[in-house]
Amino acid sequence: MKRRNFLKTTAAAAVGTQVLGGIPLRAFSPVQLLNTLNADGDQILIVIQLFGGNDGLNTIIPADDSAYYDIRPEIAVPKDKTVPVLGKIYMHPALDPKNTYNFRRMMEDGRLAVIQGVGYENPNLSHFRSTDIWLSGLNPKPWEDTKLIYGWLGEFFAKTSPGFPDVLPPDPIAVQIGGSLSMLFQSPKGDVGIALTDPDKFFELGQGLSPDMDPMPDTTFYGKEFNFVRLVAEKSDFYSASVKAAFDKGKNMATYDQTNGFVRQMQLVARLISGGLKSKVYMVYMGGFDTHVQQQNVDLTGLHPFLLESLSKGVGTFMQDMLLQGQAERIVGYTASEFGRRPYENGSRGTDHGASSVQFVFGNRVRSGVFGNNPDLKNLDGNGDVRYQYDFRRVYADVMETWFGGSAADTEAIFGERVLPLGVLTNPVSVQDAYAGNVPVNISVRAYPNPTASMATLEWQQSVPASVSVELYSTEGRYVERVFSGSVDAGTVRMPIKATASGVYECVVTVNGLRNVVPVAFLR
Amino acid sequence: MNRRELFTSLLRSSAQRQSIDGPPRVTATGVEPYTSPLTLDEVYHLLRRLGFGATVQQAAGYVGKTADVVVEELLGTNSELEPAKPGAWVDATTENPAGADLQTRGSIWSAWRSNMAAFSNWWLKSMAADTKAVERIASFWNAHFISEFAFDSETMIPPQSLYRQYLTFRKDRLADFKQLVLDVSVDNSMVFYLGSYQNKVGKPNENYARELMELFTTGIGWYTEGDVKEAARVLTGWKSSFFNDEPANNGYYSSYFVPTDHDAGQKTVLGTSIPARTADNNTEYQVKMEEVLKLVDIIHEARPEAVSRFIATKLYKFFVYASPIDTNTQFVEDVAKVFRDNNFNIRPMLKAMFTSTHFFDPALRGAQIKTPIECVAGLMRQLGVTVNDGATWTGKMDQTIYDAPNVAGWPGYHYWISTNTYPVRRQFARTVITAMTDAQVTTFIKQFPDYTDVHKFTKNVCAYLLPLALSGDRYKNYENTLLSGAPDYDWPSIVNDQATAAARVRNFLVAISKAPDFQLC
Repeated sequence: MKRRNFLKTTAAAAVGTQVLGGIPLRAFSPVQLLNTLNADGDQILIVIQLFGGNDGLNTIIPADDSAYYDIRPEIAVPKDKTVPVLGKIYMHPALDPKNTYNFRRMMEDGRLAVIQGVGYENPNLSHFRSTDIWLSGLNPKPWEDTKLIYGWLGEFFAKTSPGFPDVLPPDPIAVQIGGSLSMLFQSPKGDVGIALTDPDKFFELGQGLSPDMDPMPDTTFYGKEFNFVRLVAEKSDFYSASVKAAFDKGKNMATYDQTNGFVRQMQLVARLISGGLKSKVYMVYMGGFDTHVQQQNVDLTGLHPFLLESLSKGVGTFMQDMLLQGQAERIVGYTASEFGRRPYENGSRGTDHGASSVQFVFGNRVRSGVFGNNPDLKNLDGNGDVRYQYDFRRVYADVMETWFGGSAADTEAIFGERVLPLGVLTNPVSVQDAYAGNVPVNISVRAYPNPTASMATLEWQQSVPASVSVELYSTEGRYVERVFSGSVDAGTVRMPIKATASGVYECVVTVNGLRNVVPVAFLR
Repeated sequence: MNRRELFTSLLRSSAQRQSIDGPPRVTATGVEPYTSPLTLDEVYHLLRRLGFGATVQQAAGYVGKTADVVVEELLGTNSELEPAKPGAWVDATTENPAGADLQTRGSIWSAWRSNMAAFSNWWLKSMAADTKAVERIASFWNAHFISEFAFDSETMIPPQSLYRQYLTFRKDRLADFKQLVLDVSVDNSMVFYLGSYQNKVGKPNENYARELMELFTTGIGWYTEGDVKEAARVLTGWKSSFFNDEPANNGYYSSYFVPTDHDAGQKTVLGTSIPARTADNNTEYQVKMEEVLKLVDIIHEARPEAVSRFIATKLYKFFVYASPIDTNTQFVEDVAKVFRDNNFNIRPMLKAMFTSTHFFDPALRGAQIKTPIECVAGLMRQLGVTVNDGATWTGKMDQTIYDAPNVAGWPGYHYWISTNTYPVRRQFARTVITAMTDAQVTTFIKQFPDYTDVHKFTKNVCAYLLPLALSGDRYKNYENTLLSGAPDYDWPSIVNDQATAAARVRNFLVAISKAPDFQLC
């Protein structure tokens, strides 16, 4: 008997009609309750997808770089119009809208990190391929033959949710506001989320939609598609009730701009969280960033400033709401856009497709500040685009390993390579390591000489015997090589390292699952 | 045998076992013609894919004929009659909202919105009424060469202009693909939508040049960023004409050419040069034929495999099976070769596809998820009813006509069915079915042969509306809905009582529309 049928039968035989939070589950439904999924924490991730390619250079302004003003005679933001924040960066004034909690204030309050130069090797300038790369976390080569159809979060939750997909948790794992469910939530075992526009409408239309017929054998194309539709029907019925319950119970305590669609979507997310929906991920989508034509008027208003203002206002009001309701500790979020724009403006007061760009990470548990440097406009790539400083998956690795308690092995399995978490999230202990009985050992690593011409020594004090690995990563965060792996006794540890090529490396010393990162420069 | 060998041999045998009760093997993977006379189920299958479903009468006329004959008839001639216009507005000029005061601007936009809705509703009805595959194939090109009515928050293309683009898709639908690409490249709406009107000498805008290759011809990966830049130079100088305060060199709603905005220098795309031109040779006709058409030719000559494979794959997903991991690459290769061997003429490629043994392979029946357009046009056609607000419904199902999410079009396949859209599909079917008058239901019933036999009637209606024969108790359950407790020998008298029969059959149709396979075709 297939697992799916086994579950269905036992559910029917054992329970008749179950009741969950007052909502009866029909006896023949294979949907089974799962109480363990959320047991390891109630962390929430907010994903904000900026479709079209956000112009990083007109988001965080390199106002001290004359090259910026040389290559953008029409659409540069004059330095005296920018908003300096903490003496570190200059924001586009649209990111600092009045009378609302916003990106500037979040940064000043330690709730916002700005990551410069996020991208990947051999940038792809197609919206669609590059969006697929960002959503899947894969950039395979040669890529022409590789279809990207599953998302990294879909893969992660399909992998880490017990019983998936035969057992549906009582609340959807992921909720996308509006549209069709993103590739981000697709996995080979089916998707892990629902798409939602209006909870009342969803409830009105969703009730009673479970089909009164069994799944078909999955062994034909027809059977596969039949079961897909059948499962969506069942989810519509089942989750329309849990979403409605959370929506009715939830509230908003901040004042949202009702004229702005994105801001209102953030309001809905806040209300669902407030109402106790146990979803792990919420995704909100914002289009319009493909600013080839007239992206900004002379007075710094226009299409792109409007989008930046909406983003800052939507996220700011949402964070304020969560702070007021005592939910802020549970929340981190990031923005993602498939690429930045060409540094040189085009002739239409716009910009064409570019490469790396800026990324925002927000929340109470964020290591606030600026990661990386302003783009080097004197050292562009062969196509005249900004070179990347950080691999785009470094934030993802943080989300999986630091935020959701996944392991480095999960990250490697999903991306097909090791990626060093950026360290922008501050929850340091991997839950899985804790379950495995690995007591994290806090150490402090020193490297000398640094820089070095040939060899350097890593040195640290270790209070107990522990399992240790030492690996080298590129500064972008991609794995280079493993230097050591094994058990190490307590005491002073000294480990010689050398690199095969010149350059700066991130030396990662992992002691019982806890990472320490020291940059070392090899100059040969 | 060591442990490892034992383990891998076990794996192998379980993989073999899997394949025995795995998907029915698609036995025919090439384009060899299917020559058997078509059965009723095969006619239904053909018309679900190359149309919006059969009517009972239409299907009866095709049973027993070969696929060759039926497909020939469905494709029609290259120049089918233009349809009656959706309204007088298609020929009216429109004021420019850019300079107008707020109130005037609002009324211009609202007129466009209502005309766009009228056009979309009209097109859905045309699809439902089409006895051939004209609208079906036009809708494929409409989903391939995307233009959007509303984009960038407040930018809209007047529906008059989009209507003319639709007529181009209709006219070129079976013709030389290169002609279609040329027509689209200088299409008034497209020139505006992908920013060609801003693409000038010295100030290139790469938007259309990139999508021309990435989304419309070769697919991604067959050109360099340098090719994109050079192709953008070729495409400089075109403008769109919408408003009564704009020059209309070729009449309103046609693009025109401004010689001084064209880059007359030499360009090299995909290794082939287009020579520089002098000022006295810089006319609209010359640039169109010697540069834009030349660019289209260069793409097809330099990348014939890529173009043919890209288009054949898209056709396969649209008409055969949309699952990205289940595209039959052998079949696609064969179809692509037919396309190339016929110098990129569309008709022979479509003919080969729809008359192949592969297309009629039972393993592919019922595997396709209906698009919202198919849901709406198909239900109208198959129930013999008219839906006046069809476009509102397709919009709620995530397919607003002329408003794809972006230039890549609708992602399709599983993206059509979500917790957002599935409940709307159910609501739509229920709304349409329950609105059928008694007379309409009677007409529906009486078109089926042997409708007085409840068993045959049930099976015939299911075969008509659902893609495959049903398993388990489903026929029995549907019969129970029709009989509502009466014995089956009472059916002839029930079915002849118009009001009772209509009520029962409505319930039966609603029950069918609740089934997951109602979304498949």
